[in-house]
Order: sequence, then C-alpha cells, then structure tokens
Amino acid sequence: METKMFFHGILTVLWEKWVDFKFEWKKITASALVSPMLYMIALGWGLGSTSTVTDRPYIDFLVPGILALTTMNTSFSAVAQPLNVQRLFEHSFDHIIISPTPMPAYIVGQMLGGALRGMYSGILILLLSIPFGATMHLSVSFFLVMLLNGLTFGALGVLAAILATTHADIARFSTFAILPMTFLCNTFFPLERVPRLIQILISILPLTHASGSLRAIAYGGNPNPLSLLILLLYAVVFMIVANVVIIRRKNL
Amino acid sequence: MIEIDHVTKIYPHAKNKALDGVSLSIPSGEFFGLLGPNGAGKTTLISVISTLLLPTEGEVRIDGETLTRRRGDLKRKLALITQHNSLRGDMTLDQIMELQGRLYAMEKGEIRSRSEELLSFCGLLEHRKKTVRKLSGGMKRKLMLCRALLTKPEILILDEPTIGLDPASRRQMWDLLRTLNRQGMTILLTTHYIDEAQYLCQRIALIDKGKVARLETPQALICELGEVAIDEYREERTESAFFHSKEEALEYASHLQNKFMLRSTTLEDVFLNVVGRGLEAR
Repeated sequence: METKMFFHGILTVLWEKWVDFKFEWKKITASALVSPMLYMIALGWGLGSTSTVTDRPYIDFLVPGILALTTMNTSFSAVAQPLNVQRLFEHSFDHIIISPTPMPAYIVGQMLGGALRGMYSGILILLLSIPFGATMHLSVSFFLVMLLNGLTFGALGVLAAILATTHADIARFSTFAILPMTFLCNTFFPLERVPRLIQILISILPLTHASGSLRAIAYGGNPNPLSLLILLLYAVVFMIVANVVIIRRKNL
Repeated sequence: MIEIDHVTKIYPHAKNKALDGVSLSIPSGEFFGLLGPNGAGKTTLISVISTLLLPTEGEVRIDGETLTRRRGDLKRKLALITQHNSLRGDMTLDQIMELQGRLYAMEKGEIRSRSEELLSFCGLLEHRKKTVRKLSGGMKRKLMLCRALLTKPEILILDEPTIGLDPASRRQMWDLLRTLNRQGMTILLTTHYIDEAQYLCQRIALIDKGKVARLETPQALICELGEVAIDEYREERTESAFFHSKEEALEYASHLQNKFMLRSTTLEDVFLNVVGRGLEAR
C-alpha cells in the first residue's frame, strides 16, 4: 500500500504539472527562449564571435553553459513559484498536507516535474543553438546530466518555496542564490580565469558541476564522476531537508 | 473517535497562547460544534486536528492513534473545508476533483462517477469545464464541499462552512450535513452562526481565549442559563435576564419600569453570557 501510494503520489504531481503545462505552454515556451537567445546573441555572436576557449570556438564553450543555467533556472522556477503561490496565496497546498500522499513522493514528483520542464527548455536551446553554429556531441548521458541538474534545482525549488514566508522571498532567493550561479559557475567563462580562492568557492556550487559535465560530453569526452556524485548529493540533501521541514515544521 | 489531549499552541512571537491545554473527545458519528468569538482559537484547533499546524504541546489521536503528518492511514479518514478559498484558480472543476481523487489514490472511474454525482447535487455539473476563478464565492464553497466528500471521509471538518452562501444554499448545506451525519460521518464544525450550531450540533464547545469555556449539548447549555428570557429595553441598552420558569420571569417582570419582552432563551444568549461579557471587558 505504501509503495503504491508513493508511486501514485509521484504520478499525481506529474499529472498536475502536465495540466499546468497544457494551460500555459505558449507562455512557458516563449519565456524559456528569451534569456538564452539574448545570451547567445550578445555573447556568442557579439563578444565571442572571434574568440576561442581551449582552441574551440567560444560558441561551443558557451552553449553547454547556457544549457546548464537554463535547466537550472527553469527547473527551479517551475517548482518554487507555483508551490509558493499554492502555499501562501491559494492555500491549495493545505490539501496536499492533509492528504495521505506521502510527502517524499510529493517532493520527488515536484523534482521530476521541474526537471522535465528544465529538459524541455534545454531541448529548445539545443534547437536554437543550431543557427549559431555550435557543434556538440550529443548522447544519452548528456540528457541524463540535464535531468540530474533539473532534479537538483527542482529539489532546491521545493525547499525555497517551503522556507519562504512571502511571495517576494522567492525573487530574493533567486537574486542571492540562482543569479550568482548563472554567471559564475563555469557557464560563460572557464574557471581557470578567476583567482584560486574564488575557483574553490565556485567549485562547491552545484551548477559548476552541471556545466562542466555537460561541456565535457559536448566536447566528446566523459563527465567527471565526482561532479555527477556531487550533483546527486545536492539533490538528495535538498530533498531530505525539504521533507524534514514539511513534516516537522509546526507552522507551515 | 477524535481525542484532543491537552493541546497548547503558541505561534512564534505571540504573547498569548492560541490554544491553552484544550482537551476534548468527539465520539464517532457525533455532530460537534466549536463556537467562539473571533480569535478564540477555533480555526487554530481545526488546523491542529487536520495537521496543518502542529501543537506546541499535547497531541491529537484518531481512533486511539497519534495523528502526525506522516500518518497517511489516519489522514485518509479526514477531510477539511477551510474558511478561506483553498482551490487552485487555474484548474477546472473536473481537474480539481481529479487532483483530489488522485491524491487519495482513487480509481479514475470512481473519481469520474463520484465527481458527477457530487457536482450534480451541488448544481455545479454544468460549470465543470470552467476554471475556478470564474466561479462565484458561493460556488467555490460548494466545490470545496464536493472535493471534501469525494474521498468518502469518516470525519468531516468544516471551518465556517456556510460563509458566503445564500439562505437557500445554506439550508441545502445544512440538510446535506445532517444526512451525512445520519449516515455515520463524524462532523466537526466551527461557525459564527449560532442558529447553525443550535440546529446542527449534538454537542458544542464554547471556546474563549484558547480554552474550552463550556462543553455541553445546546439544550443543556440553555437549561444551565435558564430557559426563559426577559429583554428589558432600557434607554442606553437592552438588558437580558434568564429564569428557569415562566413564573419566575413574570415575577421579575412585574417590577420592571421599562418595556420588556418575554421569550425562550437561545444559544446566542448562552454565547453572549459565557464569552460576550469577557469581550466587553477586553
């Protein structure tokens, strides 16, 4: 019964996410494209058209970074914003708390829903990168890293939405956590170009490992297993902390 | 059976206790009412019973087992209709019902047939494809009732269920609740409408300042105060006095200088007597 409820819970959240997606797919698609397209025009065509990184065109370096930050942003937003609204404004999250659906199943469902939305945006970016002349080796592992990155930031989205006390808190969380990672984590420039201490600090952050892994695969190599392990660890820790907070917090 | 055992709730940064050692037992099949002024702790108590809030001290037991957020088997027995609208605005009525059914792992066919039955009963079937934000306030409350009943709960908790309903819908809701109770469902409701509590509830707890001030049947509460009331219309205010017999009341009335009215005592008199005086003093 417990196992059945667990999988049923995950499928329920995925169904809910699908309903959301069907309702707003045009807006979701358009908004997923704007920032990455601007990055590619400004940095790929504009600043980076004549430069190379590790003897490769800058656009080849840039696109995996943009894919990593897009899957991060999309997965985080697809979970954190609606959950925050459902908890603080619509109060429909109350009915999740009251229901017999196990909370870990609900969280995993949210993570998967967020990750799939991140994958959707990522695939759009891949298609968009074709006219920009980017060349990449695509494989199953490339998409699995995108999925893992989405799961990590989907879990962070759940945690942020549960800890937030106002709607503005999610925007603040994005400003202080998501935005710095967008620019610093091996996305737009190689880490070797920053001082050693900053390099170490950036290496701790999950997006660094996602962009590094995606780039390694795109260049025809293999991702660093330690990076994948660190990403997985982040996902598990965010998930466990979110679950503990929801189960134990006296005033949700 | 619901057992509320010495439940205390203190909100962060609050000076006073929202609930102060509340203990109650509500047997299966009872229609139980929580009455009290604004801020008395009724909604807090209901939130604790439904695990939306966790108590600072004490515990709630359902059929002898401690209720926590992890106990899906116990939560399955409960359904809650909150005071505020708690529906997703961008979903259709069908989707709201399907989401609820899925959260309780109901079969798809059962969700469909039971949704049709409930939406039809509440006059919402023709609106099933509309999004919630297009419904009136009363329709949203009816939809919340449909959602709560979809999973056939053993215990139905209602926080001000008839707020925003027109008189006909209110009566319809009363009839439905009484029918459900007759079928064996335990019902716990809070209400501001004292006539509602008097009409529906078998026992009532008067809650004031987070404590149970009285716990009795409506009739016993009235008898305790006196079944006959006299309202004396003084210039500045109406003063009520209560008596255990008509003779006593008439004897009292014979000494009055102002106009007066003899009537039966109501639960509202009890409410005003128990908690109203406290309100005036605050």
